[in-house]
Formats: sequence, structure tokens, C-alpha cells
Amino acid sequence: MQKNRKRVVGTALLVVALFALGLAASAQAKLVGNYTKFAQCPYTNLEVKKCIYSTTNSGEVVLGSKKVPIEKPVVLQGGTLQPVEGVAKFVAAANGITLSKAPQNVPGGILGIVPEASSPALVKALIKFFLENSLTGVNSTLELAKPASEITLSETNLIGEEGTALKLPVKVHLENPFLGKNCYVGSSTSPIIWPLITGETNPPAPNTKIKGKSGELEFLEEGRIAEIKENVLVENAWSAPKASGCGGIISFLVTPIINSQLGTTTAGHNTAILNNTIFTASGAAVRKNNEENP
Amino acid sequence: MRTKATAIGAALAALAVLCAMFATSASAAPAWKFEGKSLEGTEVVMGGAIESSMTIPGLTTKCEDFLYKLTVENSAGTGKGSLTEVPLYNCTTNSKACTVGTIGAEKLPWPTHLTTVSTTPYIIIEGVKVAIYYEGEECVLGETLVTVTGSAGGSIDNAAETATFNSSTLSASKTELKALSQKIEWNGLFPTEAFQWHREQALSVS
Repeated sequence: MQKNRKRVVGTALLVVALFALGLAASAQAKLVGNYTKFAQCPYTNLEVKKCIYSTTNSGEVVLGSKKVPIEKPVVLQGGTLQPVEGVAKFVAAANGITLSKAPQNVPGGILGIVPEASSPALVKALIKFFLENSLTGVNSTLELAKPASEITLSETNLIGEEGTALKLPVKVHLENPFLGKNCYVGSSTSPIIWPLITGETNPPAPNTKIKGKSGELEFLEEGRIAEIKENVLVENAWSAPKASGCGGIISFLVTPIINSQLGTTTAGHNTAILNNTIFTASGAAVRKNNEENP
Repeated sequence: MRTKATAIGAALAALAVLCAMFATSASAAPAWKFEGKSLEGTEVVMGGAIESSMTIPGLTTKCEDFLYKLTVENSAGTGKGSLTEVPLYNCTTNSKACTVGTIGAEKLPWPTHLTTVSTTPYIIIEGVKVAIYYEGEECVLGETLVTVTGSAGGSIDNAAETATFNSSTLSASKTELKALSQKIEWNGLFPTEAFQWHREQALSVS
């Protein structure tokens, strides 16, 4: 009798557990088709007017004398609130990963030795092998320096190629076994602010003007989603603070070396060029797609 | 001596013929004509689009009533004009999500002139500016003001008394319309009919 009761209780618990699992699964995003990329949009927040999913596929970040090509895609995702005077505040991605962390290889590694472009392929390969391996190589990862709510987006400026399109507060995480875990350029208290534009920049010397591009716009899902291909966001008038926290307990020794390698990082010495594909959707359309696909 | 004078005379004659030829080709700029005679003074040409649509890839906007009022004249033998009114009513999109809240032509009058592209007469409209405010909660352009700007060239069919605007005519006339920084497609077929002094007279451009 006792044994039977235990079995019944066990079965009931199992059913409850399976039911709970089923519920948990159904509570997850059920977006389909072109809407799946908005899975991490905080669309359940009714104040979210637009969902954003932007992939930076290539480009470069120049910080002082270091030029880091963007070789691994970086994703910016989340939502935006009702714009005020054309500028909308960002809402963090549902999974918290508003800006994905994609470590980019710093050419020349920790010693910063980069072969001339005209160098023989063998020389380039040898330098890469010795200076960009797991011990000597340096990765640079772009991270958000402030909460997502500090990001702003102006779709009008993005398309109109005039004024700041995307304001992004970032910090650059430099990673190498010798640099420790806290080697950053920029911080939450002293972030690098990128006022990215699709128009033409007006930087101080020695940088010169560069141009972004709004890109090619196409509407999907009967005007519910907009896709912007070949978008180029640029800025080269921003300044960056000195690196800090490099080298762990010998930071007082390593950080100055890193800073001397970076060189001058005041305005006019840095550049950001981001080549993107941007998807935006109406928050209401994403919510409806979710409701229609239980 | 006499030979030299003959040679100069011949050269001057050739130059005169050449000038006359150029003068002829310059005067070939098309003019507004009624019943085959060049318009003197001004005339008002009015009509409504037989069909018209504007497309940004993926979203087409149509207006059931796309009217226009064009004041035309010939200036130094060339047809010119001024689009003074462009009322647009009953506009919709091909999307269930997007509706047209308001639409209106801005910065009127828009200057126009006639030209010839590969023997076909064309009307060129400059300074086009149309503001469209899209609505719809699910529309990605909802609560967005889209402004169409640029110039548009349309071919004139004298037999049918119509002007046609499409991607071919805009390309042929080296004109373009833009919205949201994109080159847009505009298709329109407009009847050309006088409504003032030359009512019911055949309108042609040549």
C-alpha cells in the first residue's frame, strides 16, 4: 500500500514536472519567419515601439596607433522606446546580451609588431604564428560601458545621413594571459562615446573626413520589418581614455607599456567604421507574430 | 586677289549655313501646341492620374485621386510650365499594416519644362516634394514622415495626349525621385487636357 502510494506520488510529480517544462517551453519566443531574429527583443514590454537586430559584419576600430579589423560579427539587439524629438532610447535585449562579445584579433599581438603590407607572405605568416598565438596574441572585445538605456537611436538620422544615428557608450576589453582580466580602454565611469553617423564626419586633425552610408532599404512582411543592407556607421572625432587595469598585480608596470603601444588616443586619432545589416520591426508586429504562433 | 575674295566668300557662306543648321536644331526644343499651332500666352492643363504608384522596395503607395493643375506657356520657343496644384486623395499602401495618414505636395509651384530625349518629347518636373505620413501600429514606418524629393521626367504621347512617368522615363531623362535616401520608383499615366482658352483642342508637344 505504502509502495503504491509512493508510486502514485512519484508519477504525479513527474507529470507536474513535465507540465512545468512544457509551460516553460511555451513561454519562450515563438517567433517565426523573418521575426525569429527578434527573439531577444523585449517585445513583451508594451512600451517597446521597435525591435532592433543589427549585425556588424566587418569594419575597423582604430584606437591610437592600433588598428583592429572587425573579423567576427558583432550583434546589437534589443528594443527602442517611443522617440522623443526623433531620438529613441534603447531597451536591453531580453537575454541581457544587448551587444554581443566578439573578440577581435589585434594584429601584431602583445608586441605590436605588424609586418609591412608589402612583406612576403612567409614573413607575414611567421609573424602571425609567433606574435598572434594563444600566449602572445591579443584580443580586443567591444563591450557596453553603460546600461543599454544609455544607447540612443535616431532612425531619421540613420536613413537621412544627417546627425547622430546611433550613440553607443563602449569600452574595449584587451585580453591576453599577461594582461589579466581587467585590461580596459574606457569604463562605466569614463566610457568611450561613439556618436555614429551615416553622413560625413568632421574630425580634428590628423584624422580627415570620412563618410558613412545609410544603405539599401527594403520592406519585408508587408511593411512590418525594414531591412537595411550595406549600412555604414562611422565616426572619427571621438576620444578614448588611457588603458587601465592591465597586468593584474603588476598593472603599474604593464599598463604604461600598453598605453605607450596605443599612443595618443585623443580626438582625431581614433576611428570607428562599422559595416552593418540592420533589421527593425514594429514592436506590435513582433508581439502579434508571437501571439499567432503558440 | 579675286580668288582670295571668292574663297573668303565661300567660307563665310559655309559658316552661315552651319550657323543656320545650329539655329534650326536649337529651335527644335519642344513647345506646347494646340491644334498644331504654338501656344501664345498661357494655358491651364489639368487632369487626374489614370494610374499612379510610388514604390520603395517592398512598400507601394497608391493614390486613387492624383490630380494636377499645370500652367503652361512657351518661352523663347520652348515649352515651360508651373505645377501649381497637386491634390492627392484616397491614398493607400499594398500593406495591411501601413496606412497613409496624411499626404501632401509641398513647396509648390514646381517648375516644369519640355525637352526632347531621343526624338521623344518629355516633360521634366523639378523641385518635387511630397510628404507622406504613414500610420499603423504594426507598420515599421508608423508615425514616420517620409518625404519624396527630386525631379521626374515623363514622356509625352501626342496621339494619346498623355504623359507617362516610370523608371525608364526617369532614367532616360536623367531625373530621380528619392525617399528615405533611396531611389524610388514612380509609375504614373496622366492625361493632358487644356481647361482654359484651348478647351477640347488637341494638345501636342513638338
